[in-house]
Amino acid sequence: MKSLGSIRRDFAPWLDRGAAPFIRFEGVTKRFGDFEAVDDLSLDVFEKEFFALLGGSGCGKSTLLRMLAGFETPTKGRIVLDGEDLSGIPPYRRPVNMMFQSYALFPHMSVEKNIAFGLRQEGMARSEIADRVGQVLKLVKLEDYARRKPDQLSGGQRQRVALARSLAKRPKVLLLDEPLGALDKKLREETQFELADLQHQLGITFIMVTHDQEEAMTLADRIAVMDRGRIMQVATPAEIYEAPNSRFVADFVGNVNLFEGTVRSVEGDRAVIETDAGLTIAVVSEAKLGTSQKVSYVLRPEKLKIAADPIPGPNAMAGEVWDIAYFGPVTAFHVRLDNGATVKVSMVNATRQGALQLTWHDRAFVQFDEDAGLVLTQ
Amino acid sequence: MGEPGRKTEIGSGRQGDAEVRAARRPASRGLFRPVVIAVPYLWLVGLFLVPFLIVIKISLSQTAVAMPPYRPTFGDPSTWWSALQQLSFDNYLWIAGDELYFNAYVLSLAIAAASTLLTLLIAYPLAYGMSKAPPAWRTTLLMLVILPFWTSFLIRVYAWIAILKPEGLLNQLLMSIGVIHDPLVILNTPVAIFIGIVYSYLPFMTLPIYAGLDRMDHSLIEAAADLGSPPLKAFWTITFPLSLRGVVAGCFLVFIPAAGEFVIPDLLGGSRTLMIGKTVWLEFFTNRDWPVASAVAVVLVAILVVPIVIFQRQQARAG
Repeated sequence: MKSLGSIRRDFAPWLDRGAAPFIRFEGVTKRFGDFEAVDDLSLDVFEKEFFALLGGSGCGKSTLLRMLAGFETPTKGRIVLDGEDLSGIPPYRRPVNMMFQSYALFPHMSVEKNIAFGLRQEGMARSEIADRVGQVLKLVKLEDYARRKPDQLSGGQRQRVALARSLAKRPKVLLLDEPLGALDKKLREETQFELADLQHQLGITFIMVTHDQEEAMTLADRIAVMDRGRIMQVATPAEIYEAPNSRFVADFVGNVNLFEGTVRSVEGDRAVIETDAGLTIAVVSEAKLGTSQKVSYVLRPEKLKIAADPIPGPNAMAGEVWDIAYFGPVTAFHVRLDNGATVKVSMVNATRQGALQLTWHDRAFVQFDEDAGLVLTQ
Repeated sequence: MGEPGRKTEIGSGRQGDAEVRAARRPASRGLFRPVVIAVPYLWLVGLFLVPFLIVIKISLSQTAVAMPPYRPTFGDPSTWWSALQQLSFDNYLWIAGDELYFNAYVLSLAIAAASTLLTLLIAYPLAYGMSKAPPAWRTTLLMLVILPFWTSFLIRVYAWIAILKPEGLLNQLLMSIGVIHDPLVILNTPVAIFIGIVYSYLPFMTLPIYAGLDRMDHSLIEAAADLGSPPLKAFWTITFPLSLRGVVAGCFLVFIPAAGEFVIPDLLGGSRTLMIGKTVWLEFFTNRDWPVASAVAVVLVAILVVPIVIFQRQQARAG
C-alpha cells in the first residue's frame, strides 16, 4: 500500500530507517495499585515531530506524558530523551516543559513574572530574561498584557500565557496536555493553526495529549491511538483514518460503517464478503484473503454515494431514509437497506439544493466502489 | 402597524414585567431579608456596643466607696447634666503616668507576638502535612485538630499545670530517662505562658492555613518543578505566598485574643508576669477600682483595633 503522507510535505523521519528517535519509550509500564495505566509500551518520537497521543479518558495518555515530564516514575521500562536515560532525573532537571491542561499559571504573579519564572530558575541574567520574555510575549501576541495578573485575562489569553511560559525556556520537547481543551470551538479552531505554525517556526518537538480526534488530526504529524494503557496504532492522520489497523481504531477515529462478515469467494485481489447482516459486498483487498475467513469491513460514510434514483456500479443497494442530520457542509443519512441493515452515508452539499432532494422515509439508493472500504482480517 | 399600536405593545410589555417581578418576590420575602440582616446587628449592638459604651463611661468616672463603686451615676434624669460634667480623663492620665501599665501593655503585646510566631512555626508544618495527607485521612486529621475544643478550656490549662510543675509529668519523664537530674522550673515562668498560649490557640492558626493550602491547585507546584524549581524553592516561591492569606488570618486570630489573655498567664505564668488581662483583673477585684480597670480595658481595645483594621483591609483587598 502506498504511504499516506504527513501533514507537512517531505517530513517523515519515521520512514527513514537510519533516523535515530529523539524520544524513546522502552517497555514502559506504570501501575497505580492494581490499576495498570500504561502497559509495556514502546514508542519512538522523532525530533521536530508534532506527535499526538489520542485516546479516551483513562487510556494512559496523560500518564505517559507525566512520566516524560517526570511527575510519575515508570514501574518498569525506561524513557530516553536525546540519548539520555531520564530515569531518576527529577522534573526540575529535565529539558522538557509542559503546558498544563489547567494552565497552572501562578495567580500571584503577573504575566511577565510567570513567563520569567523558568528563566530565573536557570539563573539567567536579568536583561536576558527581559529580552526572552519580550520575545515569547510577541510570539503569542500578548505584548500589551505583560503586567496583568492571570485572573485579569480571558481564557484564550491565559492559554497563550501558559504556552509562552512553557516555550520561554526553549525546551527540547514541549508537552501539551489537552492544550485547547478549555477553549470554545471558534477559538480552538483559530488556535490550532497558530499552534501548528508556532511548532513549525520554532522547530521544537511537541507531544500533545488529547481526546479530541479532530485536534489530533489537524495538528499532529503522527498520532498514537491509545486504549487501556497500550498503543493501538501509530501512524499519520491520513493513515489512521483511511487505513486503521483494527476495529478499535476504525471505530474510535471518525464515523464508520463496520460490518462483520465472512469471505465467500476470492479471485486475485478481489473478493466477495457476505456480512452477518446479510449484505453481499464486492471488495478489493490489499490483505491476502481466504475463503470462509472471518473479516471486518470498514467503510467510511463519505465513501458511499446516495441518490433518489438507482446508481450504476458495484455494491449498489436500495433502502429507505431513516434519519437525516444536516451539518451544513455535509448531510448525514442513516439508510435502512431492504435486507434490514442500516448504513451511514454522508453527502457533501456541493450544491445549495443537493441536501433537499431526499427526506425522511424516501426511497434511496446507495452505492460504493470495490476499493471504497477496508478489509480487516484481525 | 402604526404609532398607537407600538405604544400599546410597550405598555403591555411593562405591565408584564411588573407582574413577573411581583410573582418572583412574594410579600413575605420582603420582610425576611431585613430581619435576617438585623439579627447579627442587634446581637452586636446589644452584646458588644452597649456594654462597651458602659465600660467607656465607667472609665471616665471616679472611684467611690459606693455601690456601684464609681461616681457619677446616671440615675435621676434631672442630674444628668451635672453628672456629665463630672466625667473626666483622669484615669487615662493615671495610666499614662504609671510605668506599671505601660510595662504590662508592652509585655502583653510582646508575649502575644512571640507566641503568635511560635504558633505559626508549629501550625504551618502541621497544616502543610494535613494538606499533603491522603484525602481519606484529612477529615480524621481535621477532627484531631478540633478535638481539644470538646474539653473545657480551663480544664486543659489546669492539665498543663500537672504537666509542667516541678514534680509534674514532664519533669518525671525527663528525670526517669536521665536527661536532667534536677526538675526544670517551667511553671510560673513566661515559658509556661508561651506553652499555654501556643497549645490553646494552635487550632485557630492551623485551620485557616490548612484551608488555604487545601484549596491550592497542585498543578501549580508541578508547573514550578517543570520550569526548573527544586521542591524547597517551589515552596517559597509558590506555596508560601499563596498561603499568606491563611497565615495572616491565623496570626490575627491568635494575636488578638492572646494579647488580652488572662487565664493562661494567671494559671501558668505566676504572679511575676503581669500581663494586661491580669492588670484589669487586679484593678477590678483587688483594688475595686472599676474606673481604672475600665480605662485599662479601653486602651487595650484601642491598641488592638489598629491591627484588626489592617487585617480587615488586607482581607478586603485580597478578596
